[in-house]
Amino acid sequence: MRRATLVRLGVVLAFWLLLVTFPQWSAEWASSRYAAGIIRQILIFAIFASSLNLLVGYGGLPSLGHAAFFGGGAYAAAIAAQRLGTDELVVSMGAAILGSALLALVIGFLAVRAVGIFFLMLTLALAQMVFAIAFQATDLTGGSNGFSGVHRPTVFGADLGAASDLYVLVSVVFLLVVLLLWRVTTSSYGQALVGVRENERRMRALGYDTRTLKLSAFTLAGTLAGVAGALAAYEFRFVSPNDVALGTSVTGFVMVLVGGAGTLVGPFVGAAVVLVIERVLPSQLPIQTLLGIVFILFVVFARQGIVGAARALAGRVRA
Amino acid sequence: MIEIHGLARDFGGIRALAGVDLVVAEGERRAIIGPNGAGKSTFFNVITGELRATSGTMCLAGTDLAPLTVWQRARLGLARMYQRNELFDPLSARDNVVLALTLRGGAYRPLRSPTRAEQAGADAILDQVGLAGREATPAQALSHGERRQLELALALARRPRVLLLDEPTAGMSPAETERITRLIASLDRSLTLLIVEHDMDVVFRLADRVTVLHEGRAIVEGTPDEIRGDTQVHDVYLGKAVEA
Repeated sequence: MRRATLVRLGVVLAFWLLLVTFPQWSAEWASSRYAAGIIRQILIFAIFASSLNLLVGYGGLPSLGHAAFFGGGAYAAAIAAQRLGTDELVVSMGAAILGSALLALVIGFLAVRAVGIFFLMLTLALAQMVFAIAFQATDLTGGSNGFSGVHRPTVFGADLGAASDLYVLVSVVFLLVVLLLWRVTTSSYGQALVGVRENERRMRALGYDTRTLKLSAFTLAGTLAGVAGALAAYEFRFVSPNDVALGTSVTGFVMVLVGGAGTLVGPFVGAAVVLVIERVLPSQLPIQTLLGIVFILFVVFARQGIVGAARALAGRVRA
Repeated sequence: MIEIHGLARDFGGIRALAGVDLVVAEGERRAIIGPNGAGKSTFFNVITGELRATSGTMCLAGTDLAPLTVWQRARLGLARMYQRNELFDPLSARDNVVLALTLRGGAYRPLRSPTRAEQAGADAILDQVGLAGREATPAQALSHGERRQLELALALARRPRVLLLDEPTAGMSPAETERITRLIASLDRSLTLLIVEHDMDVVFRLADRVTVLHEGRAIVEGTPDEIRGDTQVHDVYLGKAVEA
């Protein structure tokens, strides 16, 4: 491994250790538990946004239907646990991974035939179909009432019911997803995805089966979104059609663009910004309007997002 | 190496290719010339698979190309230098070529970075096309001539059996034209070349044989000397080129 990579890995692990021990070192603070709850949610949505970033930022595939896999994973975890009568993490998380992967494979198979705005519209339309199913399959999903009473998982019988246990679980999964995406995006495969984003025609002329390449990225991204969905189900103990709705897809998109598409840290920063605005600012404020303004400001003035802008600034300072 | 018979391509009611026959031997360097609108670009697009043929047959080393996609034909050993550069602009020159090289390794390898050998291989190809010292420069920061050289490097990196060169000297200064012409002339003689080019000096320097396309048909074929002396060719093409 090269030295620069080792340094980066060290920074990531140090940051993660700081994060995972937050409840311990902040225990004295009055709002420690509340803050830990917010961080947990930030991490869950950071996984969701990171998975979307693989498509939007690296593959140049602007999916507006990513919530289908987030919600799909959440429903799969909740339904599997209920129907099989077990709270084992392996079962519910396994169901989420399998369910969202299959769903992404089917939707991706149709969507990757289109490019640009048509890809965007197709992912939106197909995700709306998933929304309709979630809404109408009342026996399975609870329909518009949602699926309430989702249990926190157990790991080989050990109960993760406490918020602090869930915090560790979410942190560990977050780290695993970040490391996986880091490896994938810096690999030959990740370079090939960037190649598709930059010039699909040339990639085909070089001998790349770009459709399969895009479908595999779509499936991987959908699967990771499903993992985030399962964690969200454990977190909120509730799954509703909102989790598969357009609003959730858009939120993911905003997180990616505000944080910085095509960067590993960007989606995490974006998720933090959006959730702090949504959940920490006083609820008397017009939250959705504020989010809209933030989004517009970034699209107009800093399309590369917070991380991209920071990098550009650092580059200018160095030069 | 290449056998094409009765190749046709219609766009609505317009016949861009009206039954082209072309047989090119292994290692041959064949130029395809003709006035604008003669069907040269369409011809290349149909060979590479970017356009489907309306009728006719195409074989590469005995393999029927018709049912194959663009990427499958590329893997058979068909490479193309585009008339308008098709590069990966934000990537460095080296990473551009590495993308072409990593595929040669087989699978897409989601968990392995490009190897040192691949990077060294990319540098060697860049050196071959005269881009030594420019490896780390993003493609978008290269000059027009350098971008044409990188375009050639991408086509060569796959070690093709047949290389289609679509106006390799397009938009180049005389010095750049001279450099890329020498570069193409120095390529391995086992590589089969199909060259579309408007600069007749370049054509006559590079080609073993020349085919003249006119209104979607191959009207004449011969050695550069034969083509120079052909009155029909003068009428449809060379005469115009001289007048212009």
